[in-house]
Amino acid sequence: MAAGGGGSGDPLAPAGVPCAFSPHSQAYFALASTDGHLRVWETANNRLHQEYVPSAHLSGTCTCLAWAPARLQAKESPQRKKRKSEAVGTSNQTDLLALGTAVGSILLYSTVKGELHSKLVSGGHDNRVNCIQWHQDSGCLYSCSDDKHIVEWNVQACKVKCKWKGDNSSVSSLCISPDGKMLLSAGRTIKLWVLETKEVYRHFTGHATPVSSLMFTTIRPPNESQPFDGITGLYFLSGAVHDRLLNVWQVRSENKEKSAVMSFTVTDEPVYIDLTLSENKEEPVKLAVVCRDGQVHLFEHILNGYCKKPLTSNCTIQIATPGKGKKSTPKPIPILAAGFCSDKMSLLLVYGSWFQPTIERVALNSREPHMCLVRDISNCWAPKVETAITKVRTPVMNSEAKVLVPGIPGHHAAIKPAPPQTEQVESKRKSGGNEVSIEERLGAMDIDARKKGKDDLQTNSFPVLLTQGLESNDFEMLNENAFLSFYSGFQKLISPGRERGSEVEPWQWKVLQTRNVNLIKKTVLRMPLHTVIPLLQELTKRLQGHPNSAVLMVQWLKCVLTVHASYLSTLPDLVPQLGTLYQLMESRVKTFQKLSHLHGKLILLITQVTASEKTKGATSPGQKAKLVYEEESSEEESDDEIADKDSEDNWDEDEEESESEKDEDIDEEEDEDAEGKDEENGEDRDIASEKELNGDSDLDPENESEEE
Amino acid sequence: MVDEETIRVVRCGGSELNFRRAVFSADSKYIFCVSGDFVKVYSTVTEECVHILHGHRNLVTGIQLNPNNHLQLYSCSLDGTIKLWDYIDGILIKTFIVGCKLHALFTVAQAEDSVFAIVNKEKPDIFQLVSVKLPKSSSQEVEAKELSFVLDYINQSPKCIAFGNEGVYVAAVREFYLSVYFFKKKTTSRFTLSSSRNKKHAKNNFTCVACHPTEDCIASGHMDGKIRLWRNFYDDKKYTYTCLHWHHDMVMDLAFSVTGTSLLSGGCESVLVEWRDATEKNKEFLPRLGATIEHISVSPAGDLFCTSHSDNKIIIIHRNLEASAVIQGLVKDRSIFTGLMIDPRTKALVLNGKPGHLQFYSLQSDKQLYNLDIIQQEYINDYGLIQIELTKAAFGCFGNWLATVEQRQEKETELELQMKLWMYNKKTQGFILNTKINMPHEDCITALCFCNAEKSEQPTLVTASKDGYFKVWILTDDSDIYKKAVGWTCDFVGSYHKYQATNCCFSEDGSLLAVSFEEIVTIWDSVTWELKCTFCQRAGKIRHLCFGRLTCSKYLLGATENGILCCWNLLSCALEWNAKLNVRVMEPDPNSENIAAISQSSVGSDLFVFKPSEPRPLYIQKGISREEVQWGVFVPRDVPESFTSEAYQWLNRSQFYFLTKSQVTAPLKKAEESLPTTPFYFILGKHRQHQDEKLNETLENELVQLPLTENIPAVSELLHTPAHVLPSAAFLCSMFVNSLLLSKETKSAKEIPEDVDMEEEKESEDSDEENDFIEKVQDTNNTGLGEDIIHQLSKSEEKELRKFRKIDYSWIAAL
Repeated sequence: MAAGGGGSGDPLAPAGVPCAFSPHSQAYFALASTDGHLRVWETANNRLHQEYVPSAHLSGTCTCLAWAPARLQAKESPQRKKRKSEAVGTSNQTDLLALGTAVGSILLYSTVKGELHSKLVSGGHDNRVNCIQWHQDSGCLYSCSDDKHIVEWNVQACKVKCKWKGDNSSVSSLCISPDGKMLLSAGRTIKLWVLETKEVYRHFTGHATPVSSLMFTTIRPPNESQPFDGITGLYFLSGAVHDRLLNVWQVRSENKEKSAVMSFTVTDEPVYIDLTLSENKEEPVKLAVVCRDGQVHLFEHILNGYCKKPLTSNCTIQIATPGKGKKSTPKPIPILAAGFCSDKMSLLLVYGSWFQPTIERVALNSREPHMCLVRDISNCWAPKVETAITKVRTPVMNSEAKVLVPGIPGHHAAIKPAPPQTEQVESKRKSGGNEVSIEERLGAMDIDARKKGKDDLQTNSFPVLLTQGLESNDFEMLNENAFLSFYSGFQKLISPGRERGSEVEPWQWKVLQTRNVNLIKKTVLRMPLHTVIPLLQELTKRLQGHPNSAVLMVQWLKCVLTVHASYLSTLPDLVPQLGTLYQLMESRVKTFQKLSHLHGKLILLITQVTASEKTKGATSPGQKAKLVYEEESSEEESDDEIADKDSEDNWDEDEEESESEKDEDIDEEEDEDAEGKDEENGEDRDIASEKELNGDSDLDPENESEEE
Repeated sequence: MVDEETIRVVRCGGSELNFRRAVFSADSKYIFCVSGDFVKVYSTVTEECVHILHGHRNLVTGIQLNPNNHLQLYSCSLDGTIKLWDYIDGILIKTFIVGCKLHALFTVAQAEDSVFAIVNKEKPDIFQLVSVKLPKSSSQEVEAKELSFVLDYINQSPKCIAFGNEGVYVAAVREFYLSVYFFKKKTTSRFTLSSSRNKKHAKNNFTCVACHPTEDCIASGHMDGKIRLWRNFYDDKKYTYTCLHWHHDMVMDLAFSVTGTSLLSGGCESVLVEWRDATEKNKEFLPRLGATIEHISVSPAGDLFCTSHSDNKIIIIHRNLEASAVIQGLVKDRSIFTGLMIDPRTKALVLNGKPGHLQFYSLQSDKQLYNLDIIQQEYINDYGLIQIELTKAAFGCFGNWLATVEQRQEKETELELQMKLWMYNKKTQGFILNTKINMPHEDCITALCFCNAEKSEQPTLVTASKDGYFKVWILTDDSDIYKKAVGWTCDFVGSYHKYQATNCCFSEDGSLLAVSFEEIVTIWDSVTWELKCTFCQRAGKIRHLCFGRLTCSKYLLGATENGILCCWNLLSCALEWNAKLNVRVMEPDPNSENIAAISQSSVGSDLFVFKPSEPRPLYIQKGISREEVQWGVFVPRDVPESFTSEAYQWLNRSQFYFLTKSQVTAPLKKAEESLPTTPFYFILGKHRQHQDEKLNETLENELVQLPLTENIPAVSELLHTPAHVLPSAAFLCSMFVNSLLLSKETKSAKEIPEDVDMEEEKESEDSDEENDFIEKVQDTNNTGLGEDIIHQLSKSEEKELRKFRKIDYSWIAAL
């Protein structure tokens, strides 16, 4: 699997560091870094599994490594092997790792036991080992070296089985054929050996520089007409040092053809190559080539013949840092190795530094020719070698997260106006003649607010402030202030962490901070009707805020609701306007629900009685104003018109107001609605909730009926 | 030639590692721990399991190194045997049959040919320490019936027995007294702590004991957190003890270091305390070990300690109190609320882990990957403290979103509930909290599901709660002038007659949402959130609900608490079929139409795999587990298998894993087959299966119908296989023709499971009136499915078939 070789000074040594994924499930990634340490990483959770420092790591650095095929693990006694195969979970365990060194020795390291298993030295190489290959069945090991020889090892006995001269110069790469009967070796030219007789079966031209990787790409010949002898017709791949072309060769029956059948072009010298074997002729070969420049090139081809032109990659993968802000530009992160997962649809990418690589599984489903993954590995750079004891990962919890508590919009479904109602809202707006653009309003408000603010802050009495505001006919200003503050309130909701102290509050809202109940009552009583809804919205916003301010607002809210209950119940668009308030109240009075309902109703009754008595006597300035303005009456007219037009909703509302005895019937209706008998289900539901809302402004008639 | 394919249940993980003290090998390279019926050998360096020693037939209760040969290990088990192992190679050397249940094992170097064991002979709760003489014999199995009695009325736990000072005496503790038996004098001294003297000593029960390796000193741990060091106990009168007090709660285990210079203690504080020179001043701590320390052991070489913890892990600690390795099993010390899930990204199994954590567990390697800290609050370990529990979790949108629900309920009315929605950040490769919702419902959340339809443009989550509502949460744009952001908001709240919402699930394409309200299933349109229709069977509360998939997507399945499994057709709004089956676990396979149901009966759990379109199950396995199965999950395979027989095809693309109460996650796996997969094998296998299949078909349905050629696997395989790899035409001809014929054989009736009467339900259920726009289709279902016949062959038939195969296809061996 591995196609890497170490080395530093030699210009013809392959780039990159020896590394390999463990066979089968790719559970581990072994990497022999240039400091002589062998590190094994767990691919699933990117954890350093173990670290091994060979005793002679400075003189004999690791030049190549190879995992033993899984079946070899439980060797020694056949009795144990049998038992092993029964134990699921350990039978697929990968264990032995063969390390070739620069001085010619081969170390067998057991990753399960974390110790050196054995050392293959005697009669072997006397120069740098370039490549190691395990035989998939027999348990033999093949190695090649700069001393021009190829050695076949008996691993159990740690002895040389056979040693022969493989080339006139150093042998740099090896590969065993899929049937296990042939061996490819390469220096600059490529030779195919028959393993049994150690005779050269075929010659191939090879590369101009030492071949760094050899790999069979198919296990069955593309042309299945003639009988398959195990080797003829197979394709294999070779990559060489300083060569941007990967050549594909075919083993032909006739001996004449020696040149490559096709080639793949990549951007730099290949460092690591992995491929999925194609098992039948329809299935394409997938090839992942990691280049020295840190890119991965993916090829997907069905190999079936000769192609003169070098093939370019189907897909290129790069990784870069995000590049925060304007200062730092994204930097590329080098990919060190890439291996196909067993499902052939995803790729394990190893990237970052050699000392702390990040291993990630990337799905290959996109058809795009270029994939650029943005990864932030800044916190991975610091080498952390010690094992984590608790294996706990802490997901990030920062203040940017949205927080929803009961009563805040978004915690409960927003109450949407029924379609006919929105029309009414619009028509009402038109009839109101309130068609000033927001821009104009803002402008006007800005001036007015400042002017008024200065004026009114000098006078320190709240009732005067409000009456001044009312008597100066400046309703619109009040309105728009509410409008504005609603906006700012909305923004605050989105980012609840932000302080509201920085904003300068409009002057009116200082009034709201009073605790004097009588003052509040009086002020509310004199409020012009237009301002009731904006005031309620402002109150709602403040209720959602800090509990301290909510305490003050409750008084205001109570007054507004008791004093203006009758006005509010005439509004057709009350539901969408006060839905939030309703939900807020609902969630806040959860604990003693029935008691608070009863309490509310009693207060409502008493205050209505007393208020009506009081207002009989005294004519409030607010009412005077009401009579003066034409807008007010026109609005009422329009309301009536709409009610006349038809609209069941309004009819329901009226009825509800007039006689609360019918509530029971309405309840039944609601239930039926919920069963979904009606076709206009959604609409009805809205109506139902609207009823509830209206009921709430009357402090819940439903419960009244229950209590009765 | 080919073994009959069988499905078997394989224990694949989650075994307990912290049942007894772990034992180090003499060179400290390996550590042994008991794990169910096995002994596991781990490497102390790599944390890898080197060997599993299996041979015991019941719970292994004790392991000790052979004091006379450090390469051998004794183990004892409840099956009444002591086994001697060569742990380097993992070979069983000898079995000593004792004949009574052994609860613990001790070895002493001085007693050469005998070991000590705890047995209970007469009454179930009276335990005795006995010495077992192990006879020397060359045979593999030896009877060792020669027991000599040492101490009576001892505690069952091996922590309450310790051999001291090279086997001169043995100390045992129980309740309020310490008894010391001197082997030479053959006398017992008993030292009692008064419990009733005053209230301060109310909790000074003994919990564990350890003996100094060289001096005459016994250390005992107590319930109130004190450690007492007893000296001079040769004299009944002049004995002394000193107190060491650091632990605030019960001392769980004690151990002396090899030289005896320091004493190690641990408890539920999860701090390892090293008392140097047995003085209260010289203490060293190794804190934050993660969970209650259950056992402490020391390596004979003296360089390593290890602590076993209640969260199923063993920590190997250096002499200088530095943790060097962690052997972590599946954390399962608490009940699993979240069920089993598969993380779409890592393909790991996800379930409750440590308190407040989700654990990611790799099924392939039987290893914990990591714990994800969801609650992020310091875990305070104290008795009687009500903790925040992670109750629900779900992955959505291919692993990009994770929703978790945590709750803490002190009293009936005081519920704290929080839902967190985590987004997977690809840049940092980790989860980031996106939205936190306090009290998403007023009562416990019963179900949580994401809409995982591929085309859905907006991530959608549904929560169902006992408060009678279900809420639909959608991801909306929360950007403002300061930043770009997304956040979750509630889009819709639904309810049905104030019934408790018990389950919810989305259809495969995400167009429909099914929510069950106790006995009633409601179907909602996921675009407008309108109630489309309701199904009610009046058969008890719905326990599980799921939609069919792929070709069966028109079906909805519900399992009720009264043991009825119903299948409704969503097109006709009618009950398609129902079956009497007490379903405990119902899981749809994400890769196929199949649904697995595990039913619970008095004798054990049975597995049924079926397609909603046909009431006849594809596969039945009785008695997959003796215990109650709690959860199950289908795990997609990376590489599809190709099982030919229809009964096993459901395992081709997924494996089924389930979790039982006691310990193990057991997958359903197929036995390995010896034959390599070649085209021949496919042909033969399929052909054979086809025959079996057809036998059954004719028996069951009494339908005479010509098989369609494209449906016969043998034929299709024949046509798609290259000619040069096919056997001779003469051979294939008869097979080919055979496969087209209908079998005329008549067979005897099969065994019929009584609880699987998949009767066709003719009557329509009381779905509501608004469904009348859909015509009820009934004529499609009455194709003779009324018979209760299960797809199975009698044994004689199987034998015949096997014989037939052996004879007929032996030519393949020559190839």
